[in-house]
Amino acid sequence: MLRYYLMLGVRNLRRSPILTGLMVLTLAVGVAASISTLTIVHIMSGDPIPHKSDRLFVPLVDNGPAKSFVPGSPPEDRQLSYRDAANFQRSGQGEFRTAVYDVTGAIESARPDLPVEQVNGLAVDSDYFTMFEVPFLRGNAWSRAEDAARARVVVLSRNKSEKLFGGEDPVGKDVRLFGQSFRVVGVLDRWAPVPRYTRLVNSTGGALSGEDDIYVPFATATDLELYNNASTSCHDDNRAPGYRGFLDSECTWIQFWFQAKSTADRGALAGYLDNYVAEQRRLGRLPRQAPPLLFDVMEWMRYMNVVSNDARLAAWLSFGFLVLCLVNTTGLLLAKFSARAPEVGVRRALGATQGAIFRQFLVEAGVVGLAGGVVGLGLTLVSLALIGRQAKSLSVVTQMDWAMLALTFVLALVASLLAGLLPTWRACQVTPALQLKSQ
Amino acid sequence: MEVRPILSVLLRSKTAPLLVAIQVALSLAILANALYIVNLRHASSARPSGIAQERDVFTLTARPVTKATHDDALAQQRKDVEVLRALPGTASVTWISQMPMSRSGSNSGFALDRRQARESALVSIYFAPPGAIKTLGLHLLEGRDIEDGDMVDFDAEGDSPTAKFPKAVVLTKALADDLYPGTSAVGKSIFYGTGDDAVEMRIVGVVDRLQSAIAESTRRGEYSAILPLAMDLAYPKFAVRAEPGQRDRLMADAETALRNVSITPRVITTRSVEEDRANRYRNERALAWMLVSVSALLLLVTASGIVGMTMLRVAQRRKQIGVRRALGARRADIVRYFVTENLLVTTAGVIAGVALAIALNQLLVSLLELPKLPVAYLGIGAVALWGLGVVAVCGPAWRAAGIPPATATRSV
Repeated sequence: MLRYYLMLGVRNLRRSPILTGLMVLTLAVGVAASISTLTIVHIMSGDPIPHKSDRLFVPLVDNGPAKSFVPGSPPEDRQLSYRDAANFQRSGQGEFRTAVYDVTGAIESARPDLPVEQVNGLAVDSDYFTMFEVPFLRGNAWSRAEDAARARVVVLSRNKSEKLFGGEDPVGKDVRLFGQSFRVVGVLDRWAPVPRYTRLVNSTGGALSGEDDIYVPFATATDLELYNNASTSCHDDNRAPGYRGFLDSECTWIQFWFQAKSTADRGALAGYLDNYVAEQRRLGRLPRQAPPLLFDVMEWMRYMNVVSNDARLAAWLSFGFLVLCLVNTTGLLLAKFSARAPEVGVRRALGATQGAIFRQFLVEAGVVGLAGGVVGLGLTLVSLALIGRQAKSLSVVTQMDWAMLALTFVLALVASLLAGLLPTWRACQVTPALQLKSQ
Repeated sequence: MEVRPILSVLLRSKTAPLLVAIQVALSLAILANALYIVNLRHASSARPSGIAQERDVFTLTARPVTKATHDDALAQQRKDVEVLRALPGTASVTWISQMPMSRSGSNSGFALDRRQARESALVSIYFAPPGAIKTLGLHLLEGRDIEDGDMVDFDAEGDSPTAKFPKAVVLTKALADDLYPGTSAVGKSIFYGTGDDAVEMRIVGVVDRLQSAIAESTRRGEYSAILPLAMDLAYPKFAVRAEPGQRDRLMADAETALRNVSITPRVITTRSVEEDRANRYRNERALAWMLVSVSALLLLVTASGIVGMTMLRVAQRRKQIGVRRALGARRADIVRYFVTENLLVTTAGVIAGVALAIALNQLLVSLLELPKLPVAYLGIGAVALWGLGVVAVCGPAWRAAGIPPATATRSV
């Protein structure tokens, strides 16, 4: 029977085409507005590394001055000082660990006809590539031994490698970087996690867009006295001069990551951090009585407010709009169904139960919803393309995925069924005798 | 008038009017909040940066491939300024450490007293020479520009800020007013940081406006200071004001000129202030567009709802309309009936909508730190929906008025 109703529903779409068209369009517009804003929020809040996001941890200690401390407030900054980062590197905690900061410099290509180019990238430890499962096209990451030796080695992004070397394999070749000779040890394959969770505080496009061109060992970068190319926060202006003074200061500019063997090791890591802070306090550092913080990937992205309030706002208001469209569709369905009272009278007189009428009309409403979903999907793709063109930083988050595609139809169907409830119930109330008499 | 009979009819068959009233209420709630947010974003992105005639100004960054010594870097910087100044079409040029709205720069805490625990304000710091105020076209309200005698040559590799730091500073009016409410800031002293090592500086001038590098949407976006300090910056930057209409040509010329003047290779980039502004407010604009389009669709959907309901009610009452016409009612009376009926429904929706708009705003305030909705927006929204209602009802009502009185006599 359901199939018959479905067929009837599809056929009835053609009855009163203007009214039906209006319903389909109203639903489609409402669904498109909701889905496109929701897609943005969905991608912004997506898990970039689902199978191990609960084993990757960011530690945070508050090394701000005691005098301006308000108990209970969050740490001054979202990064670490060199001293803390270096201590964590040596700690041996977790399976893998890496420090991260932004470096920038000029790269001189092997081809003299190309101008000197500015490159932005990250200074990281060799574990970085294992921890975040960075795919390599050619070559490999450098080794821990090369970390220790402050080797002049570099990993290039695929884009940068193609730009500098064309189609050639650059592994083993030398490039001039930061005014020194660096050996290329690897080339990454396309790798663009969204959000860019490994380094949310960056100067190469923010949490959502942009790319790192190069990766060099952390120890090499500090050996070359490279300053951080992203947010650096200093509170003690009386630090010793020069780069050494900068490293010894309480300036915060480094991101740190631990990878634990299993989720259960989180407690051990938190325990280590507590001990570390207590020990540093005994040594005269970290004067604030603030507990250290530990975040896994998703907690960290929430702490860093990756999903902007604007995106949430747009989603909220779009949902309000969808509710409006739903009410509008209810009115239109009411008009369409009430015109069919004689038909209902005949069916009821021939023995159809109220339940049968209810099912038939609700299925018809659902068919309208599915049609709205199809049109809405088209409108969603158009509006996402428009939003992506408006703001470059949003273009990566305006990508539809299967979950959102399914949600488009679910939303359209649920909306149409909700809108159809009242008109359908009204249709069931038709008194057969009255209708038959008037015919 | 005939409100009572209309009301009793409405109360007898209330589903369709109720649906329309709900639509009006939802529309008003969303419309008022969306318009308010659009206006907030627009006001934020239209704020003046302090730079006069922004379209004539651009910046160049000349980043050396290898780090030069402090003295060489400053010598190169002086040479670059001379080269840029000599270019035809250049009205004025200066080196500067950062630019408003460029989204990259440095902040430092200023304090009224060194014994304070916390700084009084976080200030966006511009290092620049005398004349930078003129190049940017800032408006000096009080005091004087920084002078050659104020300049401090600072070598980050050897000098300590406690020993060697500028003693003069120019503040923006917003910062001066907040630090010294009610009195003139010029001549007063201010501390760079807090504690024993904080540097004491004297405020020599106040400019009307100079936005911070981030151009925050709060008052902090107006907290800036110009310090006469020359240091070798990681990104040596120059601000150039072109003669009117010459900017684009000069941008290309200036880039070539700087490329040719240095023997060592450098990475040179140019960017106009207009680009900085567009980039800074891109997301605001995207949100505003999105809300404007949702609002437009919203009104369209609501209008179609009103048209639909009126058409339905006209169709249901063809016969009654014919009877009324036959009994002497004019066309205008019929139109008035439906317009009045619609006004009653819209008004009910508007009243509910005002309450809903306030509730929605409360929700947004608590969830997304949005400011409270001013009452004016509720008024604008209410008027818009009343107007929309009258316009939407006119068509179907006029067609109803065209129903011939003879309809009443047919097939009773």
